[in-house]
Amino acid sequence: MDTTIKEVKSARAGDSYYQIKHSSGLNIYVYPKEGYRSAYAIIGANYGSVNTCFSLDGGEKITVPDGIAHYLEHKLFESAEGDAFTRYAETGASANAYTSFEKTCYLFSCTDKFDESFEILLDFVQDPYFTAQTVQKEQGIIGQEIKMYDDSPDWRVMFNMLGGMYHNHPVKIDIAGTVESIAEITAEKLYACYNTFYNLNNMVLCVAGNATVEQVLKTCDRMLKPSEAHTIQNYFADEPYAIVEPYVEQSFPVSMPIFNLGFKEHADAVLHEKELAEIEILLSALASPTSALYRELMDNNLINNTFSYELFEGPGYCAVIFGGESRAPKQAAEMIKQYITKIKQEGLSAEDFEIAKKAVYGDSISSLNSVSNIANMIADYHFNGNELFTYIDAIAAVEKEDVEKRLGNMLDVANCTLSVVKNAEA
Amino acid sequence: MSQTQRIRLADGVQFSAVRDSRFKTMKLSANIIVPLSAETASANALICGVLSRSCKAYPDFTALSKKLSSLYGADLNVSIRKSGDNQVLTLSASGLDDRYTLGGESVARELSQLLCGVIFEPNLKDNAFLEEEVEQERRQLLDLIDSEFNEKRIYANAQLVKYMCQNEVFGIKRYGTAEKIKEATPQSLYAAWQQLLKTAVFEILYIGDSAPDKAIEVFAEAFGRIDRAPVAAQTEVIRRADEPKHITEEMSVAQSKLVMGFRAGTALPDREIYATNLMCAILGGTANSKLFCNVREKQSLCYYCSSRYDKMKGILFIDSGVEGENIEKLEAGVMHEIEDMQNGVITDFEIEATKMAIVNAYHTSNDTVSGIESWYMAQLFDGSFKSIEEMAAIINAVTKEEIVAAANRLTLDTVYVLKNR
Repeated sequence: MDTTIKEVKSARAGDSYYQIKHSSGLNIYVYPKEGYRSAYAIIGANYGSVNTCFSLDGGEKITVPDGIAHYLEHKLFESAEGDAFTRYAETGASANAYTSFEKTCYLFSCTDKFDESFEILLDFVQDPYFTAQTVQKEQGIIGQEIKMYDDSPDWRVMFNMLGGMYHNHPVKIDIAGTVESIAEITAEKLYACYNTFYNLNNMVLCVAGNATVEQVLKTCDRMLKPSEAHTIQNYFADEPYAIVEPYVEQSFPVSMPIFNLGFKEHADAVLHEKELAEIEILLSALASPTSALYRELMDNNLINNTFSYELFEGPGYCAVIFGGESRAPKQAAEMIKQYITKIKQEGLSAEDFEIAKKAVYGDSISSLNSVSNIANMIADYHFNGNELFTYIDAIAAVEKEDVEKRLGNMLDVANCTLSVVKNAEA
Repeated sequence: MSQTQRIRLADGVQFSAVRDSRFKTMKLSANIIVPLSAETASANALICGVLSRSCKAYPDFTALSKKLSSLYGADLNVSIRKSGDNQVLTLSASGLDDRYTLGGESVARELSQLLCGVIFEPNLKDNAFLEEEVEQERRQLLDLIDSEFNEKRIYANAQLVKYMCQNEVFGIKRYGTAEKIKEATPQSLYAAWQQLLKTAVFEILYIGDSAPDKAIEVFAEAFGRIDRAPVAAQTEVIRRADEPKHITEEMSVAQSKLVMGFRAGTALPDREIYATNLMCAILGGTANSKLFCNVREKQSLCYYCSSRYDKMKGILFIDSGVEGENIEKLEAGVMHEIEDMQNGVITDFEIEATKMAIVNAYHTSNDTVSGIESWYMAQLFDGSFKSIEEMAAIINAVTKEEIVAAANRLTLDTVYVLKNR
């Protein structure tokens, strides 16, 4: 297969980028930013914490320990010759990596020696090196990472909520797993995961900022090892639409109680640009500081300015989450539910819709300031078959009726879970 | 690509404009700088919150929010921080650059007027702020103080400063105390607001593509009506610690925290701060630092163990999370790395790699609006405006001897441990 290059332009944003299908099988995006001194590169595998049961090319079904995708991320930095961070030290790049529910990404940003740093990135991601000894060494470090999150009330309140919403879906399990589950991880299991998911056809590379297509392709042509496309089958246990329980609570040493109210949504299909635009505008109209709901919650002292909302979605799961600090979480949740019921009956006001649309549009253009934002967003969109500029155009095209129709099919007040973390005495 | 303009609008009021066409947004911020004091810190913090809620033109929270949202999701933000013995109150407005609006509106002009209105023409009644606005902000601030305890890493760092600097101005929290927040009244806040306008140093910073004329015009006019008498703060620097203090607090947490505070023996405006800055980064500022490579990677004791140098105050902090049974091992490990540096155990590779990482971070900061803003404000407190190239040259010129000398100036002042039980 030959490498193909397509330019994608946005008149609205005044920007353009290049979409490349590389002969090795890798999907590449290059988004040059004129006048920028820095470049940001990220390579990601369509593989996250939820992919714990899978098969390759119709072979045997494999189940691996919770937290293994994240563990693999830590260990991939090592090779027989040493650590990738030591190699980056010679170029001055700032490097990092992260694992989410649905993907694993490796990244760096730099202002000089881009080609050298880029070569390091492509090299270590294609060069796994796991031994019993190196795997063992990471137990202590990741054990402390898990314990750090165990003390984070924001993290706990979210996972408790997911546990209250999902019966079977692995999204309810901590991304890093548990101290017990990671004890079962071996070099063999890491290789099984690597060889399944770290296939270039199952990965994406995005570069934004001070780099050209020619520059990126020159290194890619030299460094990428051609991959045969293969078939990955992920298995998720059946997940009913209904939540598990409407209320979960954990006592915790906090002085401000916090809550997450999650509405479980249907998750049988991936959301595309138009649907995402409609949902963003809807949530902004319902719950941004401009909304009547926000005002009412504030006036009744039920929230403070930590209040936020988000659409939370991935393979086989989808939810809308409202959350923040509250001294009366149950009353806050009740008010949110009542308001949603009211808007479902009465519809949105034309003014609220127009304001929300402008705000979401402004945010989408503003996000193109940052090279890291751009590359991260393109990677996210890629795995869901979406495209960044199409999303921006979709926002501009949304009508009030679209948003109201969308509301009719989501935010089911009979299918939500309230999670609260508070002090035992409170 | 970017050009900078700096003009004096009034006594102690400077307006700086960075014209840059690379961004999709513009930002205008008013940085209000006052000496940190237990008497005024809480009132000042409250005032900023109240000012950002409404103003004469948009007299309630919802009206103001709607105005901002209709300006393509513009933001009006408040931040309160400490810079040495100064309290820095920032009110900022940011929004879409005029080139990207759907209907050709000028967001920059509108936001300039709005930010100025928020600061100079608040929503007042009989020489007092509105009772309900004050109550809302009082609640926000009291909640913020309580929430600091929620995140144990933030809490542990705050406790270290509290114990280490208990007899210093720097020991005052950026928003003062809950007691003072509760004492404030709509009348007392009005008086404190008038005091701010008269005595605070104002640094107004504009970053954007369109001309800042409107912002200059409205702020110059507003300050023209004020009788100014600005007051500046001098940060107290303690150069050496006596016997180290050890404080341990027990709590039912999963992970223990170890935070250490060292007197660095140097602070602004000393020239030695650059060597200390580099020494700190070699010790624990990057993924190749001594702490990362040894305490984390070799000994597997931590997920995070990093160091940070506050050059305004002259303190170096170590911040880490650890298993309760390993606290002593970790503290010994940190001290060992510092002793190594004091004895000159630093490779050329460590020095060169860290210099490169620092310079890389300088250049990267120039590619974001917030990065440019931070750079500008940091330079302001440095007292002399340096370009990135000038700062890079200074860092690159630091020698190994200077780094070793910087390590030898460290004296351990306080160790704070949050221990799991």
